[in-house]
Amino acid sequence: MSRIRLGRWLIAVPMALLALATIYPLLFTANVAMKTRRDYILDRFSLTDALRWENISMAWSSVGMGRYFVNSLFVVTASVLLLLLFGSMAGFALSQLRFRGSSALFLGCLAGLFIPFQVIMVPLARIMADTALIDTYPGLILVYVAQFLPFTVFLMTSYYKGIPPEIVDAARIDGSTVYGVYRRIMLPLGTPALLSVGILNALFCWNDVLMALVMMPSADHRTLMIGVTSLRGQYSDNIPTFASGVLIAAIPVLLVYLFLQRQIADGVAAGSTKG
Amino acid sequence: MPMGNTQPSVRPASAGRAGGAAVTPVAHRSGARPRRARGGPGAERYAPYILVAPAVLIIVLLRLYPLILGVNFSFTGDGAQNGTAVGFGNYRELFADPLFRTALSNVGLLVLLLPVAVAIPGLLATFIYLRVPGHRFYRSVYFFPAVLSPVIVGAIFNLLLAFDGPLNAVLGSVGVGPVDWLGDPDIAMFMVVGVHIWATFGMALVVFLAGFATLDAALLDAARVDGASLRQVVWHVVVPSLARTIQFVFVTTMIGMLTSMFGLLFVMTSGGPEGSTYLPEYYIWIQQGQMNRPALASAASTILFVIMLVVGLMQIKLLERAGKED
Repeated sequence: MSRIRLGRWLIAVPMALLALATIYPLLFTANVAMKTRRDYILDRFSLTDALRWENISMAWSSVGMGRYFVNSLFVVTASVLLLLLFGSMAGFALSQLRFRGSSALFLGCLAGLFIPFQVIMVPLARIMADTALIDTYPGLILVYVAQFLPFTVFLMTSYYKGIPPEIVDAARIDGSTVYGVYRRIMLPLGTPALLSVGILNALFCWNDVLMALVMMPSADHRTLMIGVTSLRGQYSDNIPTFASGVLIAAIPVLLVYLFLQRQIADGVAAGSTKG
Repeated sequence: MPMGNTQPSVRPASAGRAGGAAVTPVAHRSGARPRRARGGPGAERYAPYILVAPAVLIIVLLRLYPLILGVNFSFTGDGAQNGTAVGFGNYRELFADPLFRTALSNVGLLVLLLPVAVAIPGLLATFIYLRVPGHRFYRSVYFFPAVLSPVIVGAIFNLLLAFDGPLNAVLGSVGVGPVDWLGDPDIAMFMVVGVHIWATFGMALVVFLAGFATLDAALLDAARVDGASLRQVVWHVVVPSLARTIQFVFVTTMIGMLTSMFGLLFVMTSGGPEGSTYLPEYYIWIQQGQMNRPALASAASTILFVIMLVVGLMQIKLLERAGKED
């Protein structure tokens, strides 16, 4: 037994080092964001001597990260709400209702899972341009919804399959319409799944760069992640401002992670075990 | 594992349906008319279709249709030849383009590195499952970079790996380097893949841990009572019981490498130096957005899709086999 114990500690040391390697880059960035340019050039590693928020506020206002932040927040909120609405509607129908063609429709939704954005980027951009949706928020929202809907429908369907059909039957006998069942029974019962899927989708949309890059060419419509990519060229000689911009983009994700880690991990795990 | 933790007794995937719910029967009896039936019996009968309509329409119009459109597109010309059929002209041009060939050989490199990208989270998950001291903490920390955008990760490593950056400063203080991490064509791709693995191994770790949750603990105990070493436990108990999870991680990690490295490439190297860090997705973007060669980009997309299809078909095969085992 003691041999196993010793072995465990021998493993714990490299694991702790790896954990350090995992968080250090972010801590380094946060530290740099608090430094002055001069401090950074003189010594990159020393702990900042004061919490300076000037870099952050400069990145927020004059670099424009604040505006991009609001753009992202709007696009992500709208996309996630639509994803949850359409995903739960379809998931309810595909799991609890019997109708002609339901399995074909389910397979059609699943097929979407195997089509990455890179593969349909060119024709999708053309469709968006033809419908005058390119470079508009509704266009980007629609692209996000289309991108993550197959996954959402899939997870909501498998979650709703676990709800006993008797619940729906009982509500129907009491005279509730299908829509009533959806609104008063399925939506409340689906809360844990909606939360997990919603957070995952919010992260996916928030973190996206390629779709925003293709669909939003104009500078003032940029999302936050595009803002981060543009920092590189403009502020490569002003590392603290650069780091501040990165930090502004990372902090919301960090907060979501700290409070909702369980739901995120559950969503990933559900996606894997149900597949 | 059920999603969310409020209803641990519900197992969504396995609960079978005994009868199937009646969708329309009550709608015709006027006495029991549903209170909120807005559109009359017709609306009730079509309710399932109305419920799935938004999802199906969006997926068909913005996923499946563009796929067909793109494949068609790849057989037409660009620029002056816009819209005219050119047969396999785009494909011939692709395979003659050194940049695209680099992109394909980098895919080969990813395939070679795939076992490493799977083994690291697999081993770490094993240790966490065996309750190494501090296992909860490690789990949270390791997973964190997986939720960060590749753009943020790329920007952070741009900072760390810059030629006059902190990593070279540390190496310089012990007399090594400096190394041009992102500027040397022989090194850059390995750095980008390394950062990708650093950023995403937590995702595979969580999948592995979900697999471990289904593992029979009695087997492990028995092995340990018999005095099996850690290596024997991993090789003879963990690997066979988790075969399905391991295969799933192989497939998803490969798909992740093929479709979610754009952000890193865009921020860290922009395909350079000397085009050494091109991947198909980056090539597609350059041809579509920068070179104004949408038809050529479509041909590259089609090839990427074929690669994905092979990976995806492997996954379906695995699912079928798993279904038979259940």
